[in-house]
Amino acid sequence: MTDVLLDGCLALCLPLLAWLVLRTESLSQAVVLFVAFGLLSALGWARLDAPDIALVEAAVGTGLTGALLMHTLSWTEETPPDVRARARRRPWALLATAALTLLLGWAVLALPADSPGLGPEVEARREDSGVKHPVTAVLLNFRGYDTLLEIAVLLVAALGARAVNPRSERASSDAAKDPLTGELFRMMTPALLLVAGYLVWVGDHGPGGAFQAGAILAGGGVVAILTSRMGTPRMSSLRVRWALLTGPLLFIGVGVAPLLSGRRLLELPEKLAGTLIFIVEMALTVTIAMVLLMFFPGTRPSRAGRGGER
Amino acid sequence: MNPWALYALSGVALFSVGLVGLFSHQHVVKRILASNITGSGVLLVLVALARRMSSGPPDPVPHALVLTGIVVSVSSTALGVALARRMARLQAEATHLPEHEPRSDGEGP
Amino acid sequence: MTSVAALMVWPVILPLLGAVLALLVGRPGVRLVAGVASVATLMASSMLAWEVAHQGVLHQSIGGWGAPLGIEWRADGLAALMLLTIALVGPLISVHALDHFGDREDREFLPLWLFVWCALNALVLSADAFNLYVTLELTTLAAVALIAVRRDLPGLDAGLRYLLFALPGSLCYLLGIALLYGAHATLDVGTLAQRVQPGPVTWVAAGLVTVGLCLKTPLFPLHVWLPPTYTGAPTPVTALLSALISKGSFYVLLRLWLEVFAPVMDAQVGQLLGVLGAAAVLWGSALALNQTQLKRVVAYSSVAQIGYMFLVFPMATSGARAGAIYLVVSHAAAKASMFVAVGNIHQAVGITALGGVQGLAHRMPFTFLAMALGGISLIGIPPSGGFIAKWLLLNEAIGTRQWWWGLVLLVGSLMAAAYVFRILRGSFLPLPPGVTVRSIPLGNELAPLALALIALVLGLVPWFPLDLLAIGASR
Repeated sequence: MTDVLLDGCLALCLPLLAWLVLRTESLSQAVVLFVAFGLLSALGWARLDAPDIALVEAAVGTGLTGALLMHTLSWTEETPPDVRARARRRPWALLATAALTLLLGWAVLALPADSPGLGPEVEARREDSGVKHPVTAVLLNFRGYDTLLEIAVLLVAALGARAVNPRSERASSDAAKDPLTGELFRMMTPALLLVAGYLVWVGDHGPGGAFQAGAILAGGGVVAILTSRMGTPRMSSLRVRWALLTGPLLFIGVGVAPLLSGRRLLELPEKLAGTLIFIVEMALTVTIAMVLLMFFPGTRPSRAGRGGER
Repeated sequence: MNPWALYALSGVALFSVGLVGLFSHQHVVKRILASNITGSGVLLVLVALARRMSSGPPDPVPHALVLTGIVVSVSSTALGVALARRMARLQAEATHLPEHEPRSDGEGP
Repeated sequence: MTSVAALMVWPVILPLLGAVLALLVGRPGVRLVAGVASVATLMASSMLAWEVAHQGVLHQSIGGWGAPLGIEWRADGLAALMLLTIALVGPLISVHALDHFGDREDREFLPLWLFVWCALNALVLSADAFNLYVTLELTTLAAVALIAVRRDLPGLDAGLRYLLFALPGSLCYLLGIALLYGAHATLDVGTLAQRVQPGPVTWVAAGLVTVGLCLKTPLFPLHVWLPPTYTGAPTPVTALLSALISKGSFYVLLRLWLEVFAPVMDAQVGQLLGVLGAAAVLWGSALALNQTQLKRVVAYSSVAQIGYMFLVFPMATSGARAGAIYLVVSHAAAKASMFVAVGNIHQAVGITALGGVQGLAHRMPFTFLAMALGGISLIGIPPSGGFIAKWLLLNEAIGTRQWWWGLVLLVGSLMAAAYVFRILRGSFLPLPPGVTVRSIPLGNELAPLALALIALVLGLVPWFPLDLLAIGASR
């Protein structure tokens, strides 16, 4: 009984909160509400037996996105849209939302209520995939080609984001001397590396994997960038480019190599599949962490003009 | 009772709220927020679809699709935000330059 | 067998590898790497098209898993023709781009264009509904980065506008696919085609997919983002957007609609798409006639030309399909040629107004020859690809007793003739005093001409493309 109540409440609260996010006048309040919304929705995912991807959603979909948006607000002017224009539009928007929800809900309720999806098929072939965790098996083997293109999406976004905001603000010396953050980083860095490595390793048989690990690494880096201890990685540095591109190159190589022995693209030999996936995931972790870091352009150049900022 | 339908309905409601919001707002940040809400609605539908059998593990395929979806959505948010930031900066420079000295972080020719 | 199927790998992997390597080498080698990758991809695409022409439809199960677990590739005649179009039109535009951009933009333009190429080839070959979503998103994000590559306000505004319309488009598509997966537990397009039944899930999913892809293509009345985006983007990028990128989403729509949805949907929905297409033809042409900026004339003409393509849906015969695809291909060449020519004119005189063309026909003969040849294809006068396409569509309109679509074709052609004439007429007037014409590199003058010649050749020898299109057409 309490379960139904909890689920019902959550399912009802999510759209209401989303509505509130978009209704709020203040942009920074809207972003904060969005983060709250994201965490609540992660709770919903956990209720649907997806705790691992709920964590990714909370960390990346909500945390990182929220940080990006908050960060942007410090750059853009807070110009809320015209209040009167919005007030006039509201009944129309409410009506459209309700109509669309009803239409889509009609289709959702017409779906078969107890389909196992592709679960049995994945289960039947999991042994051949080289990894034990079904989600990793789908992501890196059965649908590994999707993941290859997804890495390209990340590269394109990083390239685009760096291309339009090319100059990263250098670490300023006063922040680097701050003893508190210094100590924090000294404690945090080994722990982050350890957790990231563990996540890649555990991805083989439990919830984890390159994306989760990359996000953890990036999380530490983002804090470093936002506290001006580190500049955003630049495409002009060869080391950055190698760190960024080793993963994709390795992935392409592993994908194409089977062609040499007359197999198909990404048709990994059964015995080697586990090892190959592990190596590719290790390299991709670095790529993903780099890309996520490249999304953050460093601290805002102050209007007062501190002179030396780059 | 299996709650998947509740969450799937919640997902399509989120999708609708986000989609309508996307087309009824002017401010870039609001529109990016709306698009994230729309996306999170779609992903919630997928997560709900994976959990339709009340026993046994959930269907891993939608979970994998959702992970890909999160990556795509973060990437597009980051790109949009980068463009918006650059625009804000150019606009600020265009309005502030006449009073102040040229900034030292010149953007090249 | 495997070695033939292996041919499908290269048109996707080579541009991807090229893009990654071009990023890695940075400034000194980016042109070399991009050049090698382009030639290699062109060869790979041609070889694949050759195989398809001689052996028929090719399949490959990526990773060897097979549907529904793995992702399937399928290359039929339509896919082969699209691969060839991208491989011929894209590099010609990027050659023009090299002189258009400075050194810095080059370093970013070339890898991004290779990513677009990889994404479009992957899209064309994919037979997996979710994989199509990933390729669509890769195309969109690379396009946004390309639009903003100059970092100026108009480009940034155009990029953001495009992103904020393309994103909801992709999400509509994804929700549609999620519903189909929920109902049929597969993402494979071929399997979906066998399993869909008329009912709420199919109708709503088809609606979501259609609306999403129409937003991206775009179809009237969802086209509001197109004119400002096409005008604000750097001209070579506009050429890519109009010629190739917008065709990607139309291709997916055509595929899914003809293979999956058409048999289970009410014929009225096809008629509705046709009506919107017709409205796009009339509205786009009328606005093209009213523009004062050269680039906007060509941009509104794209709204109209996309409209013709949607006339395939009410007729839904193999002839109409051939006509629509023929228009996709010839419009890709003709419109790329027009936009590249517009870029040349902007570079030569620095005037964006329509009057800027005055007196240029003698100074830039190749550019205006290209403009004229491209214009002929847009209007649909023989010999041009546009003529063949409209002829096929007209035939079907009469054959299916839907003469009103024929009327739309004729009125649209007259309006196109008017706006093309408006551009060309000015170019033969004397050069206004005080205007200096900067000289344009010969390569830049020849690139639009080569593109226009593709449109011309499509009108002279239509047999090869039409035969190719017939391969694997009836499923």
